[in-house]
Amino acid sequence: MIDTFTAVLTALGPVLQEGGAQTIEQAPAIPPAAAAALAVGLAAFGAGFAERGIGAAAVGAIAEDDDMFGRGLILTVLPETLVILALVVVFVV
Amino acid sequence: MSTERTAGGSNYEYVIARVRSRRAALFDDDDYRKLIRMGPGEIARFMEESEYESEMNALGARHSGVDLIEYALNRNVAKHFDDLLQWANGQLYDYVARYLRKFDVWNVKTIIRGLYAGTNPSDVETDLIRAGEFDDAFLDQLLNAGSIEELVELLEPTRFGDPLAEAYAVYEDEGVLVPLENALDRAFYEDLLTGLSGEQSRAMELYVEFLSAEVDFRNLRNAFRLARSGADLEPSEYYIEGGKLFDADEIRQLARNRDQLVEFVRSSKYGDDLEAGLDTLEAADSLIEFERALDAALLEYSGRLSNRYPLSICPVLAYVLAKEREVDNIRAIARGREGGLSTDEIENELVIL
Repeated sequence: MIDTFTAVLTALGPVLQEGGAQTIEQAPAIPPAAAAALAVGLAAFGAGFAERGIGAAAVGAIAEDDDMFGRGLILTVLPETLVILALVVVFVV
Repeated sequence: MSTERTAGGSNYEYVIARVRSRRAALFDDDDYRKLIRMGPGEIARFMEESEYESEMNALGARHSGVDLIEYALNRNVAKHFDDLLQWANGQLYDYVARYLRKFDVWNVKTIIRGLYAGTNPSDVETDLIRAGEFDDAFLDQLLNAGSIEELVELLEPTRFGDPLAEAYAVYEDEGVLVPLENALDRAFYEDLLTGLSGEQSRAMELYVEFLSAEVDFRNLRNAFRLARSGADLEPSEYYIEGGKLFDADEIRQLARNRDQLVEFVRSSKYGDDLEAGLDTLEAADSLIEFERALDAALLEYSGRLSNRYPLSICPVLAYVLAKEREVDNIRAIARGREGGLSTDEIENELVIL
């Protein structure tokens, strides 16, 4: 899956640059707000992907031992910090 | 239960979290030290307060003493390994199910022995471990077979059909069970490593590595037994395909000479793990201790693989091995205490890491 992403991005890169070089006066292909939204979206996707495995393991651990609930919950939502950090971009733009 | 592939990918994270938790709940050294000093009644009480509570309660009314312990152990094993199959999805399920066919072999062997000795089917039934691929209905059908011939016919459509039919001819000539049991074992081990989907992945490599270690150890044990007994048997008949340590020709030469065999193992990749066992073998000429050392080495090897590759089949198989070891240990303690063995003798029988 990650391979496809990099393939799309590398294919997109030169196109965007060319567009920028030829018509400098025009608006960029991706306006700043949209780019920030994309950044948050991709970060959320990454967080979700990471949580998939952690969540499965956490549920397994909780099924064996109820006391693991707190720890499992914390570990499962840890990757959410990625999204929070990505949200900073929205305010910077 | 069958080995049909379930849809979806493998859920290693979930299964391994549960398996690790259960592995941590197995008896440790301290528990064994306590158990060794107990009588059968106390062991039963100790088990009632542990992992085995529900089985002990369910069977407590019908059995007592060492039998109760034994049946509770069997049931508990079946429950845990059934759970494994329930959790696992996709490729992981296939790997686990392949390995758990071991219990089909065990069950068929038990039934054959029961028929051979003319035991009542209901007595045999309590010794079955219902954890393999055969479902309950089929096992009951097998139990009610009137003769070994009938049993072999019933097993015809299964994977054990052809080898058993061949072995049955030998059995009829010689009247001993060894060919039948060997045929079952070989069918199991050879099926383990053949017919895997040709997929190239890390999980597949690890699975193969793990099982070839087990096949190697099984071959080693057979080779040492042959070398020791000095029996004039053809070693390659007992050779199981799939190991990496030696091939059929090598085993034929080595099984004649124990010293050469020891030297060969020492220089192999298992040399370090088996060093202590080989030393005692040379010093004391005792196969029992060497076999314990083999078991311990396999357990340790599996533990190492499962730490090195946490998201793979290894932790699951390591758990299966460890659980079987625990059940064997408890059974050895209970039977040993019943038979009046000293604590030292029982300790020698245990495989503890």
